[in-house]
Amino acid sequence: MRDRDMREWRSLIRQRADREWRELSPDVVEELACHLAELHATALARGASQAEARARALDALSAASFLEVSKRPRARHMPTGHVHDLRLAVRQLRASPLVSAVAILSLALGIGANTAIFSIVNSLLLRPLPVETPQQLVTLSEGSWTNPIWEQIRDRHELFDNACAWSETRFNLASGGETEFVDGIWASGSVFETLGVDAILGRTFTTVDDRRGGGPDGPVAVISYEFWQRRFGGAADVVGRTLKVERVPFTVIGVTPPDFFGPEVGRTFDVAIPIGTEPIIKGQGSWLDERSTWWLSIMARLKPDQSLDAANAALRAAQPAIRDATAPGWNNYITEPFTLAPAATNKSALRRHYERPLIVVLSITALVLLIACANIANLLLARATARRHEFSVRRALGASRWRLARQLVAESTVLSTAGAAAGIVVARWGSQFLVRQISTTDHRVFLDLSLDTRVLVFTIAVTIATTLLFGVVPALRVAASEPMDAIKEHGRNLAARRGGLSGSLVVAQVALSLVLVVAASLFTRTFTSLTNLDAGFDRERVLVVSVNAERAQIDRSARLPVFERVLERVQRLPGVVEAGLSMITPTSGQGWNGDVDVSNTPRLEGRQARTFRNAITPRWFATLGMRLVAGRAFTDSDRKGAPPVVIVNQAFVRRFLDGQDPIGHTVQRRVIFNRNRPDAVPPPAQEIVGVVADAIYDNLREQVPPTMFEPLDQSEMSVVPQLALTTRTAGSPMADVRSIASAIRDVNADLAITFRPLADYVNASVARERIVAMLAGFFGGLALLMASLGLFGLTSYTVERRRPEIGIRMALGAAPAGVIRLVLSGTAGLVAVGIIVGSTLSLWAARFVGALLYQVEARDPLTLVGAAAALAATAATAAALPAYRASRIDPSTVLRESQA
Amino acid sequence: MESAGAIREAKKGTAELVVLAFLDDEPRHGYELTQLIEARSGGALTFNFASLYATLYKLEERRWIQGRWVEKAGQRRRRYYRITPEGRAVLAAQRKEWSQFFELIRDLAGVEHA
Repeated sequence: MRDRDMREWRSLIRQRADREWRELSPDVVEELACHLAELHATALARGASQAEARARALDALSAASFLEVSKRPRARHMPTGHVHDLRLAVRQLRASPLVSAVAILSLALGIGANTAIFSIVNSLLLRPLPVETPQQLVTLSEGSWTNPIWEQIRDRHELFDNACAWSETRFNLASGGETEFVDGIWASGSVFETLGVDAILGRTFTTVDDRRGGGPDGPVAVISYEFWQRRFGGAADVVGRTLKVERVPFTVIGVTPPDFFGPEVGRTFDVAIPIGTEPIIKGQGSWLDERSTWWLSIMARLKPDQSLDAANAALRAAQPAIRDATAPGWNNYITEPFTLAPAATNKSALRRHYERPLIVVLSITALVLLIACANIANLLLARATARRHEFSVRRALGASRWRLARQLVAESTVLSTAGAAAGIVVARWGSQFLVRQISTTDHRVFLDLSLDTRVLVFTIAVTIATTLLFGVVPALRVAASEPMDAIKEHGRNLAARRGGLSGSLVVAQVALSLVLVVAASLFTRTFTSLTNLDAGFDRERVLVVSVNAERAQIDRSARLPVFERVLERVQRLPGVVEAGLSMITPTSGQGWNGDVDVSNTPRLEGRQARTFRNAITPRWFATLGMRLVAGRAFTDSDRKGAPPVVIVNQAFVRRFLDGQDPIGHTVQRRVIFNRNRPDAVPPPAQEIVGVVADAIYDNLREQVPPTMFEPLDQSEMSVVPQLALTTRTAGSPMADVRSIASAIRDVNADLAITFRPLADYVNASVARERIVAMLAGFFGGLALLMASLGLFGLTSYTVERRRPEIGIRMALGAAPAGVIRLVLSGTAGLVAVGIIVGSTLSLWAARFVGALLYQVEARDPLTLVGAAAALAATAATAAALPAYRASRIDPSTVLRESQA
Repeated sequence: MESAGAIREAKKGTAELVVLAFLDDEPRHGYELTQLIEARSGGALTFNFASLYATLYKLEERRWIQGRWVEKAGQRRRRYYRITPEGRAVLAAQRKEWSQFFELIRDLAGVEHA
């Protein structure tokens, strides 16, 4: 009871002191509170009611003046004046909620954007794998390896402490019909031991489980924590349950820890199964003995005292033996020396693809934050100027400069802390949003974005830097004020100086905004060029159905007839206009190529002889809207047994035929020399019967490569287990999914099918450009908005300051138009300087973004002029309202004011 | 009215003297001092509590008195002030000055000291 009373008295005394702008030391507050408590208690003891007693104490308080007591030196051991500063600061900020809200919002966006991008940079580029001593892990770079090579490395125990291999894939868990894919990995039995990851439930698999065809426990699977929760609801008895992977029953033997996402940054897995069980799923198509199927990533753990160089030397010493054991006599086969690289800094595909864009975006967000700082500095400066009277009175009453500066720094700190807190929320949301944008239908990107120390330190550092940037200038300005300055001179000196400083801040803002607007338009133009690019095929209303016969128990040679029956059924559906089968779908990321010679043309060397290939059915070109420019299309009679034919694209003609008429020439595929099969018969020459217009094969950004198309039935690809059934639909591509699925089921219920519109493939291939354009556009807009706010504030303030002058001018006959010109010319000068500085900066920064652009020059003059014009227009709009107000000033009012 | 005004003016100059005088006998806390002053002057002399403490702090700063937080069983925490030897010397000097002053006034204006 008594304690609560004391608390109340203390708080009343503090409030009172605040109102008087007095600072009381805690010691003094305590003593005065004691006094009031005694007063109150005595009154009660003398028979007063609670209310009367309280009123008496309050009377004493309200009659008090704290001027004298506040001069008492603060108790040395209690530097709690800072708390007081912060309390005052909060109240100051609440006094002008709109200004504070704008400031906090711009900080939240600025700090939030930086933290969001940084947390992605952190998890993608900086954070090590969440495994035991990640610095001892090395990967075999570059690229992928075959299983025979892996088995050779695996069996050489003397090389490393441990080694493992894995391949990321998607597993279909559906029992039939439409697919249900989850993220999967094929992993060697040693993967968990090498990484040092234990199961949190059950066990992880070991080399025993990795035997071909399965270990003693049969086919086993380890699942991730997230999949355990999602699919099994975290059931405690999940170990021992059966999971059908590609329709093969696997026994779940364990669950990995929640923070383990697999061996590669940027991906995650749901189900891991041993590489040795691959033949159970793929049957005849198993890759385990394929010497030219490169699909495994290899990682090793160094021995405790083994250096990277020593490991490299050991592995290279074994290289010739590995070569001979896996593919004796092959030319150009693992001739490059094996190279191990630290896994911690190893660049995953995702890292390589996003490293530069991330750095560019991080720079953009840093600029946004700088602009926000300039804006807030201007706001605070304006407020500090408005408060100059208060400050000089406080100086006159004995407050030190340091004391006043500290007060302003406290206000900045409160602002930036609030901004940072909101920024972390923005960052959490923003980074997850961005990762979702990077993900595509068949490539789910996973990044662990949890707040770690590095991200927190980054955010705190950014916040402190921000506070210093926008808080110090107003603080110094105020600290420089002399006592009675404002009172004596109406602070005109101070105001004039403030105007100059604000001017430089606005110039900086305009310059930085220009850089951002230029960047935004460059990236947006890149993205629109890519999306509006004539790909050479029509992506609208085209649905790609991947049909997989792997688990359908169909003999290899009988596969194509099944696919053709599927094609026939689907073609007859009412919603389907055209349909065709192909080995490759454009922009899907798949590729197939080979080296060729063309009859009666000079032999090309090296990569020049390479052409991309595809195998298709006759109506495939029509389905995609690809135009035939010469010769004929394939017909149903271009089958096995008929003369082998090909259709080539225009790029092929340019590369191989150099102006000759291609029709009638033949294409001869080269055979890779193989010492084991010296008698290998070269494939038959194929006659060019048609030329098709160039169309994108894989990458929208690259020139269309030479490509040749062959009839599926004549191709060695007629036996592959998976083909793409491409359909042109009458309506929306996804509208006919059901009828197509049932038509396919009618042919064979065991075929696995996946639907995806072609436009989706194309969009996924420009995901990076889309995300950069989107971010640059957003931040460019934000920069424009902030710059216009800054200009509006400055111009309004200038008009206010020059009111007397403008009034006199108008009294002497200046026309309103002249006044508007006067005001605008001041702003225009600043904007012009800003644009010049900004242009110089943009030209300099151009060097860093060139590689990310497409069909637009980094120093594109049109973009620069456009951005400058946009900025100038925004500036004019922002300055127009204050200028108009200036022209409406009534001279007589102003003159009366200045006499008063 | 006139006399109240004269006393108010005099109060300012005498506050330090009065506080020192009350502390001469024993250490006291601020609230006790206000009560004592009010009672002994029959209500004619009152201090607003903030000015009383301002006086105390001034005296403390000059090292004429010394304050100390004391917590006694069953009582709230209070800050007791005791007079220092230096303060005692000042008090003696001031008492002497004031009595000389009063004698002068008595002689000149015929004011009787109570």
